[in-house]
Amino acid sequence: MQEINISDKNFEQCQKCSLCETVCPVMANNPAYAGPKRSGPDSERYRLKNGIFFEDSLKYCMNGKRCEVACPSGVKIADLIQQARIKFSTASPKLRDAMLASTDLMGPLASGFAPIVNISLGLAPVKGVLDATIGLDHRRTLPKYSSRTFTSWFRKHAAALQDSFPRHISYYHGCYANYNYPQLAKDFTAVMNAFGYGVHLIEGERCCGVAKIANGMTEAAVRDAKANINAFRKATATGRDIVTVSTTCTMTLLEEYPELLKVDNSDVKSRIKLFEPFVFEAISSGIVKPVWKEGFKAKVAYHSPCHQERLGWGIFTIELLKMIPGLELIELGSNCCGMAGTYGFKKENFKVSQKIGEPLFNEIRSVAPDYVACECETCKWQIEMSAGVSVKNPVSILAEALDLEKTSELNRA
Amino acid sequence: MIKFDVIVIGGGLAGMTAATAIQQAGLSCAVIRAGLSLSNPSRDDFVKAGGRIIFDKVCDGVFDGSVLRGVHTGKLGATLLEARVFVLATGKFFSMGLAADMDRVYETVFGLDTEYEEDRSKWFGASFSAEQPFLGFGVKTQDGLALKGGEPVKNLRPAGEILAGISNAGGDASETIRNSALDAAKSIIELCRK
Repeated sequence: MQEINISDKNFEQCQKCSLCETVCPVMANNPAYAGPKRSGPDSERYRLKNGIFFEDSLKYCMNGKRCEVACPSGVKIADLIQQARIKFSTASPKLRDAMLASTDLMGPLASGFAPIVNISLGLAPVKGVLDATIGLDHRRTLPKYSSRTFTSWFRKHAAALQDSFPRHISYYHGCYANYNYPQLAKDFTAVMNAFGYGVHLIEGERCCGVAKIANGMTEAAVRDAKANINAFRKATATGRDIVTVSTTCTMTLLEEYPELLKVDNSDVKSRIKLFEPFVFEAISSGIVKPVWKEGFKAKVAYHSPCHQERLGWGIFTIELLKMIPGLELIELGSNCCGMAGTYGFKKENFKVSQKIGEPLFNEIRSVAPDYVACECETCKWQIEMSAGVSVKNPVSILAEALDLEKTSELNRA
Repeated sequence: MIKFDVIVIGGGLAGMTAATAIQQAGLSCAVIRAGLSLSNPSRDDFVKAGGRIIFDKVCDGVFDGSVLRGVHTGKLGATLLEARVFVLATGKFFSMGLAADMDRVYETVFGLDTEYEEDRSKWFGASFSAEQPFLGFGVKTQDGLALKGGEPVKNLRPAGEILAGISNAGGDASETIRNSALDAAKSIIELCRK
């Protein structure tokens, strides 16, 4: 074994075994995509020689990173593909791509006119026009916007109370919880408060930038990354860890910043913590004590998102959900839902996106749970639309299953 | 801390065979594996029986004297994965259970004692098709136990190609590998039932 790699992303360790190809959801459903081995380490040898060997088909990679989880040799296959796109792709993002990617621009805009936006985006003629003009697939149910953002609610109703708690964390809410579904962030605040943690916003928080990376807006993503890491430095200097909720934002902050955007996060990386591992560790080490509601009952199927598979922290979510009395947990097989962030919105990807998700949708239907537990917002959109079962973030499940009042009393000291 | 009855390190033929037998006997078992393996034995029976597969790499072990208490992995950070008994089924060089420097052959997870030819010139056969002695290298076992610095680790069982003398390079040792895994599983099931 060569001890020192000459090149990036461990790609010289590729043994050409093709195990990555056996798990790639795109390769199995889109013949136009050459697959992770060919698009990643195989072609990288040539791309190192000359950029003319870059192939446009790399755009079909959804960056779910299942190839990296499967790789027995630790090759960062998806990173190689995304890095090549960043380096060599000359395609500039279309209007649609820029709109989908700029969650932080579209969010405030749409929130301001939420009732009109929500109704219009649900109308067949409007969807037809969006399909024909910018390529937003008309069959896709579009996410709703909230007329009041989480941060504006928080500042008015919750911020003043936060200093009174014995422990403190900084909360990275992300775009989705702020603009689309503030209830998630409110549930987060309620649960953390009940466990005795004061919740604090991060001054200067920006979109994580993952959708910008996926849509070729690298420079904008780098700006977001630098601003976030600076904001995290200030937040962690107060002694508070940064707790996140979305698995994709988390994976981006931890891995994509240094690997793809070359933004150094090494001094704050260990302080960025996903909700489920954070709470599981706090409970199992006895720092916090939960009091569960009596009579809580639910049949829950857990779907582990691709980026959670990459982080390897699904085990924490499972262990956490298993603590809840009355919750019957069924673990779904490891399958991609096909949404992959902004990928599934695009007209050219819609069919493939549905085909990829089919095994998962079928499994969910046959299990017939009360709801699906999942840490990812875009999996939620896809599963709710295509499997017809509602999806809840584990944060919200905890908010329902905990006796918040009694938990608060127990964790106040 | 997350606790299982048994943790199997390695998810190839030996690891999955041992883990499936252990899980089906009613014990709780986790397999920690760094990616998929080429032999790719079925995971279905293990998962169906309630077994847990963790795609991760073991970094180090935490010992209480000669008892392995738990292991740390790359992705789970400070969270210790604990078990009563562990199975080491990481295979040989290709699956990186063993590695070699210029002058030694070592076991990569815990640094267990290994059995190998001292004289490096005797590691290799003269031609590609000749017998290759290095394929017979593996962890030293005594009374069925793997050794660490001379002292036996009480609750660690080797299985499959990590053992000296077993090699599937010709593709004809799968029965031996499976049997070594079932032997390990059997002794573990008996031990846990006591």
